[in-house]
Amino acid sequence: MAPSRGPLPLARNLHVTLDGHKGPVNVARYAKGSAKYILTGGQDRTVRLWNASLGTEIKVFAAHGYEVLSVAVAHDNAKFASSGGDRSIFVWDVTSGTTTRRLPGHMGKIHVVEFNEDASVLASGSFDSTVRLWDLRAQSRAPIQILEEARDAIQTIHINSTTITTGSVDGYVRAYDLRKGELRSDYIGHPVTAVVPTQDSETLLVTSLDSHIRLIDTTNGKVLNGFTGHTNSSYRCRACFGHSEATVVCGDENGMVWAWDLLDAKLLQPNPPPKVHSKVITWTEHHPSDAGEMITSSADGTCKVWRHPT
Amino acid sequence: MTSRLKRKLGDIGVDPSSARANENFCLIGTPLPPLEKSRDTGEFVPLWKQEVRDEKGRRRLHGAFTGGFSAGYFNTVGSKEGWTPQTFVSSRADRAKKKAARPEDFMDDEDLQDIRDSRKIVDTTDEMDLTTGKQAESQDDTDADPLTATLQSAMLPPSKDSIGARILKKMGWRVGQGIGPRISLKQRRLQDLRASSMTDSALSTNAPDTALEEDSDEANKHTYAPRDTPVLVVERKDNSHGLGYQPGMSLNDSLGTKGGGGPSTAPNISSGSGLGALNDADEDDLDVYDGGSVNTRSRLAYDATDDHDGERFALGNSNLRSASGHNLPSSGKYRDGTAVLSGFVLSGKPIMEDRWRVSWYPLPDIPPGWKPDPKRVWSQIQSQEQIPDSNKENFKGDPTTVLPHGKWKTSGFSTDERGSILGETPLPSAPRSVFDYMSQKDRDRLKNIAASLHSPSTAGISDKQPSPTLGPIPATPRIPRTDPRIAHAALSGFKPFATDPVKQARYTAYLQSQADSSSTVTLEPLPHQSISEFNSEMEEYAQSAIVFKPMSGAMAGRFTTAAVVEHGPKVIEGLHTPEFNDGPSQDNAASSDAENKAKDEKELSPKENAARMGMYGPLTRESVPWQPARLLCKRFGLKDPNPEPKTEDPTTQSSSTSFSQDPSSSASDSALASGTSPADYGIISTTDSGSTGTSTGGPRDLANVGLGDEDDTQGRDTLTYERPSVDVFKAIFASDDEDSSDEEGASGDKNPNAINPNTASVAAVPSSVSSAVLDNQLVGPSIFKPTFVRREARTTTTNADSDKKEQKEKKEKKKEKRKAIASFMDDETGESLNLVVEKPQKKRKKEKVKEKKETRVQSKGSTTMDDDDEMWVEKPAPPSVSASADVKMPTSIASEALRGRKRAVDYL
Repeated sequence: MAPSRGPLPLARNLHVTLDGHKGPVNVARYAKGSAKYILTGGQDRTVRLWNASLGTEIKVFAAHGYEVLSVAVAHDNAKFASSGGDRSIFVWDVTSGTTTRRLPGHMGKIHVVEFNEDASVLASGSFDSTVRLWDLRAQSRAPIQILEEARDAIQTIHINSTTITTGSVDGYVRAYDLRKGELRSDYIGHPVTAVVPTQDSETLLVTSLDSHIRLIDTTNGKVLNGFTGHTNSSYRCRACFGHSEATVVCGDENGMVWAWDLLDAKLLQPNPPPKVHSKVITWTEHHPSDAGEMITSSADGTCKVWRHPT
Repeated sequence: MTSRLKRKLGDIGVDPSSARANENFCLIGTPLPPLEKSRDTGEFVPLWKQEVRDEKGRRRLHGAFTGGFSAGYFNTVGSKEGWTPQTFVSSRADRAKKKAARPEDFMDDEDLQDIRDSRKIVDTTDEMDLTTGKQAESQDDTDADPLTATLQSAMLPPSKDSIGARILKKMGWRVGQGIGPRISLKQRRLQDLRASSMTDSALSTNAPDTALEEDSDEANKHTYAPRDTPVLVVERKDNSHGLGYQPGMSLNDSLGTKGGGGPSTAPNISSGSGLGALNDADEDDLDVYDGGSVNTRSRLAYDATDDHDGERFALGNSNLRSASGHNLPSSGKYRDGTAVLSGFVLSGKPIMEDRWRVSWYPLPDIPPGWKPDPKRVWSQIQSQEQIPDSNKENFKGDPTTVLPHGKWKTSGFSTDERGSILGETPLPSAPRSVFDYMSQKDRDRLKNIAASLHSPSTAGISDKQPSPTLGPIPATPRIPRTDPRIAHAALSGFKPFATDPVKQARYTAYLQSQADSSSTVTLEPLPHQSISEFNSEMEEYAQSAIVFKPMSGAMAGRFTTAAVVEHGPKVIEGLHTPEFNDGPSQDNAASSDAENKAKDEKELSPKENAARMGMYGPLTRESVPWQPARLLCKRFGLKDPNPEPKTEDPTTQSSSTSFSQDPSSSASDSALASGTSPADYGIISTTDSGSTGTSTGGPRDLANVGLGDEDDTQGRDTLTYERPSVDVFKAIFASDDEDSSDEEGASGDKNPNAINPNTASVAAVPSSVSSAVLDNQLVGPSIFKPTFVRREARTTTTNADSDKKEQKEKKEKKKEKRKAIASFMDDETGESLNLVVEKPQKKRKKEKVKEKKETRVQSKGSTTMDDDDEMWVEKPAPPSVSASADVKMPTSIASEALRGRKRAVDYL
C-alpha cells in the first residue's frame, strides 16, 4: 500500500532482545523524554534499566521481595515507581538505584502505579480494589485520597492533567474528573486490563478479557470502534496506539503482535501475524516519538525491541 | 494565689508584686500566702515546667545530654565514679564460696524492686508457702556450708507443705495415710472394699463377708491408719464447652437425669477451688452444676454414724449405703428440709416428664385409623354431668388432687376442657369462618340464594349435602361459597399451600369450582378424611382465598409478595414416611421457579444487557458526583470543583452574607405578600438590588434558599416595621453600609477577605501612643505582648473599645513589620545604593532567622525563669545586630554576593 494512504506499517523487525530477566517480564516501559531507555519489571523481583538501541542492561534495581507488576517513570526520568506482590510501592532514585520512599498501605498486591504529569502524585491500584493517591511532595506517608468505588481488583490506571482513569476487573472503566468533580463509570462487562487514552483524551483504548479492544468516546461512553481477532481471555495484555495514533497494537496470549487500523478497525497485514514470543505478551508499548520502534515484554522472560528495517 | 487571680489583678491594673497588694491585715488565723512568690501546689504547671521526682525526692528525667532518664551520683549510681556491675573474679581460694552469678547481682535497686513487685503479682499462694514452709527451715541452716546446702537442695525436694499439712504432721500423720483415728484391720478392709466398689459398681454386698473371714489373728491385734482419701483429680478444662458438659451428652444427660451411670463418690467439688486435706467441702466449693448429686450428697467425708456403729465404716453417700442392704436411717432430706422417712431413699434422679411419658410406659397399641377425638370424651363427661352430684364432685375432685402439676401440664387439658369439666359456660371461641360473623338469619338467606343459584351447576357437591337451609350439620360435607371474583383473583395470586402439594391441588380445585360456576370440578373428601375434617378444610380454603387474593392495583404497587410464607417447622405426626409428591404440581413449581430466575436475571442487569448487546453509551455509563480531596486538586493544579460551603469558615460568610441576603429574601417575601408600606419597601428594595446583583449566579444562592425558614420571620419583621429610635437606625445603617461594601468587595472573589477593608479603614486612625511604646521596647512581631496596650486601653475605659483595640493591635503589628523593613532599607541605602534592589529578600530572611532566634530565646527564658517580666529584659536588640552584620560587608564597588568579594580580598 502506499505510505500516503494507509498508516505506517508496524515495526516488525527484531532489533534487540533484552533477556536479563530470569522469569516472566511483567511490564516494560519507555523512559520519558526522548525515551532511549527501557525499564522492565519481572517476576524475578527486579526492575532493570536497558538501553533500547544497544540492548545493554544498565542497572538492576533489586529491592522488591515479590514480583514486580508495574513500573511508572516520572516525567523528568529522575525517579520511577514500581509495585508488585509486596503490597507497597517503591519509589526509586534512578541514579543511585535506591528506594527513596516505600509506601505501604494496600491490602493486596499492587497491579499498577502511575505518576501524574509532574510526579507530585502517585496513584496505585491494587488487588484490594482500591486506588490510593499518594502525595510525593509532602513527607506524610498517608494517601491523599482512597478511591474505593471499584468492586474488584484495579488493573490499570491512567492519569492526565485533569482525570484519573482506572480499569478494574469488575468490568468498569472509571474516570475521576477532578475538574468537574465527577465520577464517570462506563460498564464494559468484562474485566478491563488496560486503558490507554489518546493524546487529546477524547477517546480511550480499553483492553478487556473478552479478546476485544474497544475505542470508547470519553464524552458519552459510546464505543467508536472494536478491534478483535487476537486472543486475550485470561492474562493482562495491553493494547496501545501505534505511531501518531493511526493504528492499534496489541500483543496477545499466543505471543503474536496484532495491529489494526484505527479508523476502519481492519487488521493490518500480515494476518495472522507471526508468533514472536513463545508465551503471552504481557506488555506492548510503542515508542512515544519514534515512528518505527516499539517494545513487547513477554512471559517467556524476554523483552524485545522492534524497529523498522533501515 | 492562683494565676487566674493574678491575671485578673493584672487586668485591673494592680501590680501583684507591690507592697500594697501584699499588705497583710490578718490578725487572727493563718494569713493567705502572699500574692508573690507563693507556690500553689495544686496550681497548673505547664508541661515543660513539670518535674518528675522519685520517691526519694531525686530528680528524674534529665535531658538527654545531662544524664538521660536517671543519672548522676545522687540518683541511682552507687558511687561518685558511677555504678559498676559486679565483676567476675577468678580466685582459687574462694572457689568454694563462689556462687553462680545471678541476674540480680547486676541489677540496681529499682530493678530489684520491679522484680519483687512482679513476683507478687505472679503467684501469691506459692509465695505464702515458700515463706512459711521453706524460709523457716532455711533460716535454721544458714550456718551450714554451701556444699551441704547444695547437696540438701539437690537431694531433698523443698517442702511445700501447707500450714495444715504441717500441723497434721506434728500430730503424727504421715504422707499416704488417711486422716482419722486408727482403725482395725476389718474396718480397713471394709474401707478398701468401699473404695473399690465405688469404682466398680458391680460388686455385690456379699464381698465384705468373704473378705472378713480371712482375717488372721495377728493382724487383728493392730490398729491401722485409715486409707487415704483418693485425690480428686480435676480434669483440666481445655475445651469451650459449658461447665459440666461432656462432649457427646444428650440433652437429657446434660439436664442431669443421667441414669445410674457412674456413682458419685463424694460431693463433686467444683473445679477450680482447691481443698486442703482437712478442709471440708463447703457449700461454696460444691459443684453447683452437678445436678445428679444434689439430693444425695452428704457433707461429710466420713459419715457421722460410724462412731456409733463400729461395724460399718462408710465412706460414700447414702445411696450406696442403702444399696449394701443395711437398713439404716437415712440422713437424706427433701428439698424443703424435711427428713426422709426411715427406710426410704431419695431418688437421685429428678422425674423427667418426657421420660416418664415416653419411655417408661410404652404407649398402648393404637388401632389403625384411630383419630383423637376429644369430643367423644367431652360428651362422656357431659353425660356424666347429668348423673347425680356426688359423682360429679368425685370427678371434679380427682384430677386436681391426684395429678401433680407436671402431669397437669402434660395431660392435655386445655382451659376449655377444664372449663367444660367444671361446668363453666364456654367462652365464645374464635370464629372459624366469615359465616360465624353473620346472624343465623343472614346465613340462611345466603345459603338459600346460593342453593337456588348454583344447584344445577354444582350437582356433584350438592348431591352430597342434603339441604343447606337446614343449617350446619357436622356430619355432612359442606362447601362454603366464595365469591367468583375473589376466587378468580385468588387463583392467580399467592399459593398458600405450596409446601403441601396435595392440599394446594385441592385448594386450586376448590377455587376453580368456585370461580367458574359452570365448572365440573367437584371436591370430595379424601378417603381417610372424616366429613367434619373435610368441612373444616373447605372453610380453610374459603378463608385463605379471601386472605390470599392479590391486592387491588393501587395497593399492589406498594407491596411485594413474599416468596415463601414461613409457618414454622411443620410437625409430622408419627414415623417419618417419604411424602407423596404430586408430579405435575412439582413440575409447575419448578417451571415457575425457572421463570422467576429468568425474570430476576433480566431485572438484575439492564446495564449488562446493554453491554452484551454492544449498546455502549448512555446505558452503560453512569455519572455520580465525586469529591476529590482538596490536596489532590492542589497537586493537580486544579480548582476544587465544588468547594463545599462547610469548609469555608462560617463566621465570615454569615457576617458578610447574612446581612445582605436577609433583606433580599425578605424583600422577595414581601413582594409576594402584597400591601406593605411603600417607604420601607423602597429602602429594602434598594439594598436588595445591590445584593441580588452580587449574589445571583453564584453557588451561594442555593445555600441561601435553604435558609428560607429564618428569612420568613425576618420578612415579617420588615412587614410590621415601625420606625425605631434614631441610634438603632443609625447602627443599622452604619453596619449595612459596611457590609454592602464588603459584599461588593467580596463579590468577585469568595475568599473571606472581609477583614482587609476593615483593617485598612482603621489603619487610617493614628495610634501614636502604642506605637511609641512599642518602638521603645523594640518588640518583634513574634514576641509581641499585648499587656502594654491593654493598660493603655484601660485608661480609656469604654466598652466599644474592645474591637478597636484588636484592630489596633493588628495595625501595630503591621506597622512594626513595615518599620523593621524600612529600617533595613535605610541602613542599606546609607551604605550602597546598588544593594537596595537585591537586599530586601535577603534581609527578610535574616530577619526571619532573627525572629526565630528571639522566639527561641523567649521560650528558653520561659522555661528557665519563673517570672514573666524577666523575659523582656532578656530580649536582645535585633535590628542593631543585623545592621552590624551588614556593616561587615565591605563597601567596595562590587555589587556581587558575599563570596565574590571575599575572594577578591583573599587575592589581595
